[in-house]
Amino acid sequence: MSRFQAQSNAVLDDELEELRRGLGLRDNQKADLLRELTSLAAWVVRQATEGRAVLARGDDGVQELVHPVIDRLRRIRDQAATASRRFELNDDETRRLAEILDRGFAPPPALVESLRRLGDPERRAPELTWTDASV
Amino acid sequence: MASLRIEVLERKHRPLLKAFRNQAPSLVEYLHRYALRHAERDLLARTYLAIDADGDTDRIAGYFSLTTVSVERSSAHELPGLSKLPRFPIPGVLLARLAVDQSVQGQGLGRYLFEEALGLSLQLATAGPIAFRLFVTDAIDEEAVRFYEHFGLQRLSDACPARMVLDIKPLTEGSP
Repeated sequence: MSRFQAQSNAVLDDELEELRRGLGLRDNQKADLLRELTSLAAWVVRQATEGRAVLARGDDGVQELVHPVIDRLRRIRDQAATASRRFELNDDETRRLAEILDRGFAPPPALVESLRRLGDPERRAPELTWTDASV
Repeated sequence: MASLRIEVLERKHRPLLKAFRNQAPSLVEYLHRYALRHAERDLLARTYLAIDADGDTDRIAGYFSLTTVSVERSSAHELPGLSKLPRFPIPGVLLARLAVDQSVQGQGLGRYLFEEALGLSLQLATAGPIAFRLFVTDAIDEEAVRFYEHFGLQRLSDACPARMVLDIKPLTEGSP
């Protein structure tokens, strides 16, 4: 795995210069360099924000891009994934919940059937047919 | 002959996770990346796998995740006509996710998994060490809303994902 290290300004300048040459840009095209790098970085951040890993695949195997910012984006995403454990109801939702709990409950036939099946010791799982043959 | 069993997600299931496919990327991603971590490291949710065994080959046909939820009001001001509502926060069990592999959809597995999740929740409500009032889910789209409405859950919001609830109390009355 590759991990970025804190780098001095001089090292960063060298790196930027190398990137400029690598992207085929002239010395006076710093703005274009910035634009290209921003677009590349935005793509990486977008992947991390959506929970995807960024992988470099080659003949020598697969390396995952690891960076503190990516770790932080993952943590934020994880928190968002678990935030639903606390449901905050607005006033309309609160009124609806009150109606539901006040109204009395007439279970629909499907629920009655499900409850009956849950109490049945002979209850069986469905037998499945897979539409794709690959495993 | 194929046979299906329900197992709590553990580390030993890791090799099976990647083959799971579903039309909703978030449901696939949760199983691939977060379910095991939430179950074993963070203790945020427990995931149950429907494993279909055909000979020596195991495949994950579906899964659901359960966790606790606290239903609260976003504002503190009083609303008229809510005297019968329990005091907030109202505790519940959250069916956080339920998904069926796209290769075995339409064969009754979604219903079977829903029943499993409901059955576990009712066991907890009747014989567990805690009390709670609501069985809750966030239906991901209108198709999911219709699925849960079929089983008596009622939506609290018109938007999707739609918060949906089932009052557990009438289902447990008469239980010891």
